[in-house]
Amino acid sequence: MASIAGSSALSFARPVKAINTNSLAFSPVRKGNTFLHLQPVPMRSVSCAAKKDTVDKVCEIVKKQLALPDHTEVCGESKFSELGADSLDTVEIVMGLEEHFDISVEESSAQTIATVEDAADLIDKLVAGKA
Amino acid sequence: MAAAAAAPTRAEVLALFRSLLRTAKQFSDYNIREYTRRRGADAFRENRALADAQAAAAAFAEGKKHLEVAKRQALVYSLYAPKAKSVMELKVQ
Repeated sequence: MASIAGSSALSFARPVKAINTNSLAFSPVRKGNTFLHLQPVPMRSVSCAAKKDTVDKVCEIVKKQLALPDHTEVCGESKFSELGADSLDTVEIVMGLEEHFDISVEESSAQTIATVEDAADLIDKLVAGKA
Repeated sequence: MAAAAAAPTRAEVLALFRSLLRTAKQFSDYNIREYTRRRGADAFRENRALADAQAAAAAFAEGKKHLEVAKRQALVYSLYAPKAKSVMELKVQ
């Protein structure tokens, strides 16, 4: 198992590799990652990437809620706490997202949201489940 | 009087906040909806740094009371909802 851990460190630096099944240690579900290694992504490859529109919309709502100036860099990886949001802000952001996307977020799921990417993933999942 | 009520946990407080916001969404009147959200957020933010366990428990109980009031009022207001929407809710043409 040590060799797998070792190769996962390598795949971070060079995601365009054949061995990318270990590129994400924390995601047990593998959905169609056989074609992922063909894309030369500059940052680490994400197995269940949220849609770009969703991430953009989440960023927009976050910026509005936290009253951040327009030029602030908010990307998928931004953590809410880094952007200056406390847990109350996070609750408000999640409510805003619920309202905009017309979904209902579970109590337990809402507590685990820490980054913009998490929120976008959850939204996509709920929207897909609803459709 | 129950002595030394335990301070609410972080999760409980957030759950109360979430319930309050959800209840606020149910109001058909724009003004009341916005007020409930704003006042709720302000109150929670104001009390966020309460160190004293008893004060925190008191604030939590207060919050729960307000939640009950809001739920009842949401029901009552929905019975007499106005037909016209507030101008703030009209989509920008």
